[in-house]
Order: sequence, then structure tokens, then C-alpha cells
Amino acid sequence: MDRTEATRTVDPITLSVVRGILETTQREMTLSLEKTARSSVFNLAHDYSTALFNAEPEMILQGQDIPIHLGSLIPAMKVVAGYFEGDINEGDLILHNDPAYGGSHAIDVCIYKPVFYHGELVYWTVCKGHLTDIGGPVPAGYNPDAKEIYAECLRIPPVKIWDRGKPRRDVLNMILTNMRARRDQEGDFNALIGACQVGERALIRMLDKYAKEEVDACIGELLNMAERQMRSLIAEVPDGTYEGVAVLEDAGHGFGDFDIKATVTIEGDDCRIAISSPPQVPYFINSYEGNSYSGVYLGLMMFAQLPPPYNEGLYRCVSVDMGPKGTLCNAREPAPHMNCTTTPMETLTDAVRLAFEKAMPSKVAASWGHANGLNIAGWDKRHDEEYVTMVLATIISGAGATPQQDGWHACGPECCFGALTSGDIELLEHSYPIIIHKYSLMTDSGGAGLHRGGSGTAWEVEPLDGDMTFIMFGEGRRIPALGAAGATSTMIDTKVGRLELKRDGNTETIRNNTIGVIKPGETVTNMNPGGGGYGDPKKRPVDKVVQDVKLGLVSIKGAREDYGVVIADAETLKVDLDATRKLRAA
Amino acid sequence: MRSKYRLGIDAGGTFTDFVLAEQAGGNRLYKALSTPADPTIAIRNGLSLIAEDLDVPLDEIIPNCDLCINGTTVGLNALIQHKGARTGLICTAGHEDSIEIRNGHKEDGYRYDADYPPAVMLVPRNLRKGVRERVLSNGEVRTPLTEDDVRAACEHFLKEGVESVAISFVWSVLHPEHERRAGEIVREMMPDAILTLGSTLYPQVREYTRTSTAVTNAYLAPTLKKYVGAVDAYFRSLGAKHPVRYFQSNGGLAIGEAMTDRSVYAINSGPASAPLAGLHVSAPFDETNVITIDMGGTSFDITLTHEGVTNLNKNIDFLRYRIGVPMIQVETLGAGGGSIGWIDEMGLLQVGPQSAGSDPGPACYGQGGTEPTTTDVNLVLGYLNPDGLVGGRLPLDPEKAETAIRTKVAEPLGISLEKAAYGMFTIVNANMVNGIRRVSIERGYDPRDFVLVCAGGATGAHITALAREMGITRIIVPKLASGLCAFGQIISDVKYNYMATCPVRLDNEDAYRRVNTLFRDLEAEGQAHLKADGFGDDQIRIKRSLDMRYVGQVHECTVEVDNFEIGAETVERLKDAFHRRHEQLYTYAEPNNTVEIVNIESTLYGLVAKPGDKALAKGGNVDTSLKGTRQAIFSADGKRRRVPVHDGARLGAGDVVTGPAIIEETTTTIVIEPGWRAELHESESYVVTRG
Repeated sequence: MDRTEATRTVDPITLSVVRGILETTQREMTLSLEKTARSSVFNLAHDYSTALFNAEPEMILQGQDIPIHLGSLIPAMKVVAGYFEGDINEGDLILHNDPAYGGSHAIDVCIYKPVFYHGELVYWTVCKGHLTDIGGPVPAGYNPDAKEIYAECLRIPPVKIWDRGKPRRDVLNMILTNMRARRDQEGDFNALIGACQVGERALIRMLDKYAKEEVDACIGELLNMAERQMRSLIAEVPDGTYEGVAVLEDAGHGFGDFDIKATVTIEGDDCRIAISSPPQVPYFINSYEGNSYSGVYLGLMMFAQLPPPYNEGLYRCVSVDMGPKGTLCNAREPAPHMNCTTTPMETLTDAVRLAFEKAMPSKVAASWGHANGLNIAGWDKRHDEEYVTMVLATIISGAGATPQQDGWHACGPECCFGALTSGDIELLEHSYPIIIHKYSLMTDSGGAGLHRGGSGTAWEVEPLDGDMTFIMFGEGRRIPALGAAGATSTMIDTKVGRLELKRDGNTETIRNNTIGVIKPGETVTNMNPGGGGYGDPKKRPVDKVVQDVKLGLVSIKGAREDYGVVIADAETLKVDLDATRKLRAA
Repeated sequence: MRSKYRLGIDAGGTFTDFVLAEQAGGNRLYKALSTPADPTIAIRNGLSLIAEDLDVPLDEIIPNCDLCINGTTVGLNALIQHKGARTGLICTAGHEDSIEIRNGHKEDGYRYDADYPPAVMLVPRNLRKGVRERVLSNGEVRTPLTEDDVRAACEHFLKEGVESVAISFVWSVLHPEHERRAGEIVREMMPDAILTLGSTLYPQVREYTRTSTAVTNAYLAPTLKKYVGAVDAYFRSLGAKHPVRYFQSNGGLAIGEAMTDRSVYAINSGPASAPLAGLHVSAPFDETNVITIDMGGTSFDITLTHEGVTNLNKNIDFLRYRIGVPMIQVETLGAGGGSIGWIDEMGLLQVGPQSAGSDPGPACYGQGGTEPTTTDVNLVLGYLNPDGLVGGRLPLDPEKAETAIRTKVAEPLGISLEKAAYGMFTIVNANMVNGIRRVSIERGYDPRDFVLVCAGGATGAHITALAREMGITRIIVPKLASGLCAFGQIISDVKYNYMATCPVRLDNEDAYRRVNTLFRDLEAEGQAHLKADGFGDDQIRIKRSLDMRYVGQVHECTVEVDNFEIGAETVERLKDAFHRRHEQLYTYAEPNNTVEIVNIESTLYGLVAKPGDKALAKGGNVDTSLKGTRQAIFSADGKRRRVPVHDGARLGAGDVVTGPAIIEETTTTIVIEPGWRAELHESESYVVTRG
């Protein structure tokens, strides 16, 4: 336990100041990215992340961005720095997306900028963002028909796109030539590079002011503090081995449902997490090891609930075994993988969360709705150009309820934990030739519980003036978000994801990942699951259930089936107390 | 007869400040305790103080004011406490939930804490009624307005006791007729309700922002209406010759009626007059790059003006609600005199945002506070006079301050009292520096190109330390610092923002024509409005700005431009201005890519004559101002050194105080660190510089 009581060697005041500078630096990078990016996935949806590393490279600040990006940045940065070891120079910029080199999914493109001070490599500023396209046979990268990664995207192992301050136009051109909507992709590269430069500018300013040794000592202490914080939390968990098993449903591959198992072993203030998953499949839901780290760390943080700042020190006392190579959560080439940041990631996160729930039942919140979304593509006649994008509004699910409160509505998916935004519907209609008929909360979609899960969302779209291709991804269309502390729902159909296709007066419900085309006059409505509930729904106070009915979050039928509350009069919402008592006692 | 006075009344969290300016020059500052439950009480109390001081009855002072100006917090308080009106929303069917979906995000990035609550809805879901209608992104009507749906919504609202109605339809900015017609129906069926139309209030693209802005406006309008009615009536009863002017978050004045229709413009008006005041006190030194900082009891407000133009915010989350209309960018931190020092879960020393407020207040107030605050720190460091603040009316207890810092900070961290106090001072300053970065570096400005203007009662103790940290070399501290916001209001002009959305790519004649016509129409409307308010042509000024971006981007940068006709040649001036701004902000530009306009805006000013200035008498012998010495700390080692204390009231124009020194004014204390010198200028400001 000596390590938790480590004596400070740095000036506590400078420590607080350095922490503030690092956070401000990251914030400046994030703002710069958001404001300059072309891809709606970046600029409207905040599907990007920034981080700072020291020369080691250890992650010294994880931005408060998308959690699913950030866990994987830790191994990716090490792979990238290792690849160019001995050849990292001032003015270099390295680009990389390949999952086999620690990346998440290949459409998340990462830029790494080594920061030099007086000729010495001191930091790395790193940005990762989800582009609208990454080449390959299907627009937007998600190809449910791909059997291999080669059929998904352009793979980019670490390459220098700037060499000693000089852009490598040939390399950039080669990459961009392989991508759709080139102008947008090029703009997004610029935005990523700009943000790295914004970060560099701020870090150099810090070193102009504070001696490097002093700053290094402070950063070292910040890492130690995060470690101590996590250790003291782990020490509170009773020693033992805890298992969590979550089911990954078959969303169209035909191999059936899979179990993903997390085994958490606590010994003192050390934590070991072992993952066991089935063999990889020729379908886009395999996760390479780097990406799986994100899912495991997110499950851990849903338990730990620690306040920021976050850095690599948090994970020093946590060792992770992803299972044998060639499995779903530790895939090897040439496994197709594009869906991996949501599927199987969120199921992996759930498994880890469930293991911790067994270890500390009172602390753990319910699962959030899983991503179950759409990409769209087509021709924009207004500007005579191709369009392609992931529609982030289609993955906005409900948040899980917590021991303290109901879940947030429209805040998910789980893998993004509220950091994602869906973009204004007018801006989407301005950017793409579509009509968004509906973007709303869904009745009876939040998981039942003493604390109700947040509502999921429905998003209905019609193409404006030509054919539109839609590509479905994700899961959570049969199994609703998992509740916690005994929360279960009776009405399931309204709580799971699905797609409704309206054509010629008929409505078809689709639950498998499908590629389709619709014309003007036809619509698809993507419905996203609500979050899991917390605690016994029969114990939810009757007046709260009635209030939910009044607000249209729960139907009269839902009140009866999920909560055992019988509403006798649809107009006044008067409750039949006798019938309610009987139903709740049953 | 020329009026003798102008009156400014600025309601703050703790005090309401009154500045009475004589037209011939000279300002008087009065303070009355704020009365948030009924702010008119504070106004009455303050006016009594003035009448007493001048020994002239109020009904002789008020008719003698050319303008009475009020900055009010009633809108802000109603929003903080969720005490606005019962409000209904009529919107496009299918989009009833946009203010609750909030684009699907928590405003605070991802947080894992399980008790972080969602924002309280200003309009609950059962009062958000969708109606069948739809306009497309090209302005075409896809579905005409279904009037019966509007009537059904009104009937529902009447049953539910709705007092205020917002109407906001998708793409109403391109085709406002549906909102107008729905508005007519609402007026017909609900004649008592206040009505807000999204396309009138905030005619710019972004449905969520526009709807949220309209809803917030509707929610606050009845409160503002009632308040404005009471204040107007009171001043009329005192014989006011002109209607009271109200100060808005955009940094300008408005009449009461405009304040009711556009109540959302009132929500952050308090600190919004600081930039103008900052510019005014900097003017004698030819400075137009000004950062004004205002530290009060609980908060620290920062604003920035570059080449005379003040940073504005549009489309931001304010108190968790998305607000579109332009507001002066005010960066507010929980770093005031009452901010508490504490050790966080990580073992790090932090200061704020929690505040001891005015009750119990800092430990040294001796009102039962035990937490160490910034004021306690400034007392222990020897900056504040232990005999008390506000000329001794507020006595301080150094022992209680020492105990609080020793037990809550020094001992847990294992450092000395002095080091702990200086450490808290450093951290609170570092927080402020990070805040100043947000208005400067994040907006593409280098703070070293600015003067720092000191406003608020508590700022003076930190001002040289902050300038040192930022690399700023020139500071201006007006003697009136603690009432500078109220002063800013009385030198403000009437200001209205006129906006339109105009999504065009800047590469064709049609686009130029469209933009030119829109600007002309907006400005004609604004001029008519100002003329009706009594302004002549020579008193009207127009400033234009455009929100521009590269095709494919969705966030814009605002670029200020001169008034000129846009054509094939002059359009290059627009584009150049945009490329420059983009590079300034984000380190790069893309000069070969197409630029598009999204929104345009004309700001119309009705110019108001300013009260005169009076020059301060010359000084001569600085020694006559010496009132004693104190042991003060200026470095991290915690060493104390003896420094002279000057009485500001006894300094004259041209007098120089060399640091280390402390200057005590009645309502503020100025700490001059070693290496700095302060020269009192005849405009009643100290100019503090290096060397």
C-alpha cells in the first residue's frame, strides 16, 4: 500500500496549474476540430477525440470526448511511435487508421503530431475522428457483406503525411484518391492537423513559462494520482473473482447469438480483467485488440465513476487479457471489423459492467441503449455531387438509470456516453438532400425500473429528389438494454431498436443489418433503444408513473404491464388503486 | 433646458449599483443591497440614498435625467430558479422533442457521475404540440399549415393554463408565413397570452437553437413584462421625461416594450456593459484592444474587445439552455472573493467554484464562515486592510482567515500558512488566466496585445499578478472600478440586432444580389424602428457581419465587414476577411476552396450623447497620500516584506506609486507588485505598467 501513500515531490501549486493548462490545451484542440471539420460526423456529432501524450508515450490527458476512441488511443500511440522509432522528427505528422496497428475502426482516422522543444521530442498531440468515407466498396465504410477487412476500406498503417515540416502531397493524394467525397475528407484532414497544431502551440507556451523538469514532475504526479485514485477504489471491492456474461444477438450474420464473458479478479488494489469471446466471424463485428481496450475501460469507468482528469495512470493497476487471437474481441487479420466500435463493443462493455455489478451491486448503473443506426448515401442533384455520411441522429439511444436517478433521454449510445451530438436537423437537410420527418422520443422505450431508463429516439427520413441508399449497422433489436439491481421490463418490443420501411402504404419492420434503397415518397424510420432501468419497477412510486404517462413517456398499457399501475381513466389519468395494489403484489 | 444628470442602475448578485453622472462631468457611485424577490425595492432604496446625498427630492432629480438606464437580473433569476411562466410550444409535427433531445448530448462531455441531472424542461412534453405543416430546405412548402391543429393546441393550452406561447417550425426562416398565420390564430384564441415566433426572434438556420431560444424567450417574457411595467410606472410617477432604457446582453439599450418581446436578450445583461466601460476608460490612452475583468463576490467575468469590436457569442448553452441570439461573450468563472479553497479527490488544491457567498461569507467576515476563501487569502497575504473594507464599514478578522487556511489547506498539504495562502492566490489566478485564454487565444487573439481593465471591487488585489501571468504589460484601474458596469450602461447606445439566414455559395451574381437585398431590407426595418424611437439619420449607425464557412463545414466564423455593395470584385474583400479570420482561429486557411454565407446580421445603433468628463486635479507630493505600511507576501516562498499603503483619495493626476505598494480606494484595493508602477491619470484611472 506504500504506493497509495506516495509522498509528493512536486510543488502542489504548480501541479494544479499544470493540470489546468493541459485541460485548457485539450479543450482548445477539441474546439478547433469541431469548428473546422467538414464531415457532419465530426462537426455536428462530435465523433472525434483528442489526447495528449508525453515522450514515453504515456497518455497524460484523455479529452472528455468519445470514450470508445480513447481507450484504443493508448495502444495505438505506442504502436505508431514504435513503428517510427529513431525516425521521428520535428515537423512530422503521422496518419494512421489500421486496426491491426492499434486503431479502433478504420473509418476513425488518427493524426499524431510529435511536439519538439529546443530540438527534443517532448509531447505528442493526437486527434482521432470519424470520417464520412474511407474507400472500399460501400459508402461510409460499413459493409455488412464484407467477409474480410480488404472488402471494407482503405487500410492505412502509420504513414508520414508531413516529413520535417514538408507535406507529402503524393502520399496524401494516394489516400484521398481512394475516398469518396474527396473535398470533405481533405477538409477533415486539415481540421485534424490544425487541431494538433493548436495543441502544440499551447504546450510550447507552457514550456516557455515553466521549466521542463518541473512540468515533467507534475505530469508524473498527475499520473500517480490517477493511479492512486483507481487503486483506492479497487481496494474497496472485496477480493474475489466475478463473472459477467452478456449476449451479443445475431443481427443478420446467421451464426446465432454469442456470449461475451468478462472475468474480473480483484486482489487488494489490483484488478485483472479476462475476456472470453467466440472465434471471429466473417462479418463486420470483429474487434481488434486496441479497440477492445476501449470497451473494457468504458465498462470499468461505468463502475468507477471517477471524476476527471483522466490519464493512463488510471489503468496501471488494471491488467487486461483479451483472450486468444482470432476471437471476436481479439481479432486478427483479415477479420472484417467496421461495426466494432458499437458492436460487439457495447456488449463487451456490458459484460465488464455486469462483472463489477456482482462485485459491488449498489454502485453500478444500468446499461445504455446500444447503437443501432444508419449510414446514407446518394447523389446530391442540388450541387451535382455525391453524398455519404453516417447519421449520428440514428444512434441516439436512452441512458441507463442510476442508483440516484432516471436515465437521461436521448443521450446514448453506450459507447459514446453522452459525448456525441446528433446535429441540427436543418443543418443535416442543408448538407444532404433529405427530409427528416421525425426526430422524437419514443413512448415506452425506457427500461422499466424503480428508476426508469431514458427514452430512445425515432428518426424518420425521406430522400428529397432521388434514390437514397441506407446501410444498417449495430444490434439491440431483440435484447433490450440491460437493467440493474433487479430491473426488468415486460414490454420488450417498444424498448429495442428496429427499422420501419414505409413503401406503397405498407410498413415493414427490419431487424437485421440490411442495405437498401428508397425513393422519394418512401421513408425509413430508425428506432433506437431506451436505456436500462434500475431497481424493481413495481416499487416506482405511482405518481411518478402517472407523470410519465402524462408526458407520453409511458403508455397506459406500459404503466400496467411494466409497472403494475392501473390507470382507470385515460382522460384524467385516475389510478385504480385496488387493482394496482393487487397487480403489484402478484 | 439641458438635463443635468444621467442615471444608471445595475442590479448585481449582492449589490445594486447606482451611478449618477453629471452631464458636465463627474460621477457619483451608490450601492444598495439587491432585493431579488422584488428588485424595485432596491431601486427605491438606492434612489433614496441619492436624494439624501444631494439633498434634492427625487421628483426633481429624475425629471432632470436625460436617461434612466436599468440593467436587470429578473430574467436571469427566473431562469436560474425555473420560475418563468407556464409556457406552451407549437412546432412542426414530428419535432416536438428537439428541446429535450438537445441534439443528443450532455453539455459536459462524457461524465460518469451517476447523479448528474438532465436539464429541467422549460416546456414539459405535454405542452409541446406538433402541428401538420412542413417547409423544405429550399424554402418550398411541402405541407401547408393545418390550422385546425393550431386551434386544437390552443384549446389544450387554455385548459392547461398556459400564459405564454412559442411557435417554432422547421425551416420557418425560409418561409415565415406558417408561423405568422399560426400566431394569428393563437392571438385570436388566447388574447392574453404572450406570443414568441422563432422566425422573428432568431431568424437563422438551426431548428434546435431557434426553438430553444423561442421557448426561453416565451418562458421569461411575462416576468420581464411585469417588471418593466412596474419600473416604467415608478419612473413615470417620479416625472421621468423619457421611457426607462434597459440594458441587454448584446451590450446595448432597449426600450421596455422591446425588452418584453425580446426577453431572452435580458438574461446576461449584467456583465455585458463591461466592454464598453473598458473601452471608455482606455480611450484617453488610445487603446482599442481591451480585456475587461470583473471580480465580485462569487464570480469572475471576462470580456474582450479587439480593435474596438467586442467578442460576441451566438448559439451557446447558457445555464443549460441553447440560446441563439447574440450576446456579449462573457466568460464567467466561479472565482470571486468568496470562492472556497479545497482539496479534491485526487489530493489537488482547488479554488472555487463553490462560494461562501455573502452568508456566511469569507471566514474573516466573522459571520460563522470557516472555509478559506479568496478574500481570506488576500487578507493573510497583507493585501487587504485588516481595519476593514468599504472604508472600514466591513471589518475583517485576520485570525479567522488564518485558521481557515491553516486547517483546510496548509496542514492537509503539509505546507506553511504563508505558502498555502500564496498557493491559493496562485491557483485562483491560474483559473482566471485559463478563463482569459478562452476569450482571447480560443478566439485567435494574443492577450499580450491587450490592455487589462480592472472592474469590480475584488479585482484590484489580483490585477498585477494576472497581467504578469498573461504577459500583459499595461493595466488600467479606474477609481470607479467597483461600479464600472453601471457606468458602462450610461455610456451605451441603443442597439438592436437584425438577422437573416441566407445560405448561398459566394461564386455567383445571384448570390451577391440576394445578400445585398437582404442587408438593405433588414437595415430599412431597423432604421424605421429607431426613427420611431426618435433617432435622426445622423444618430443611426449600422454594422454588418456575416457568418461564413468553407463549403462542407457546418460551423461558421463571424466576419465583420464594412457596408459595401457586394459584386464580382468586392466579394474578394469578404473572402479575404474570412480566410484571415479562419487562419487566426485555427492555424490554417484554404484560399482555393469555395466560401459560403450562412447568416447575415446588421446591428443598428441609435447613438446617445455621452455625459462629459471632468479632469482630476494635479497632484504633486505622493508622500502626502501615505497612510502606513503592511507586511505583504509577493512570492511563492511566503516571505513577508514591508510595503507602503497609499490613500487613493489623496493622490492627484500625475502622481506615481512604485511597487511593491498598495493603494486603497473606498470601494477597492489595488495591489502593485514589485516591478510595476501606477500613475494616476486625470481621467481618474491608474495606468499600471512594468518598470
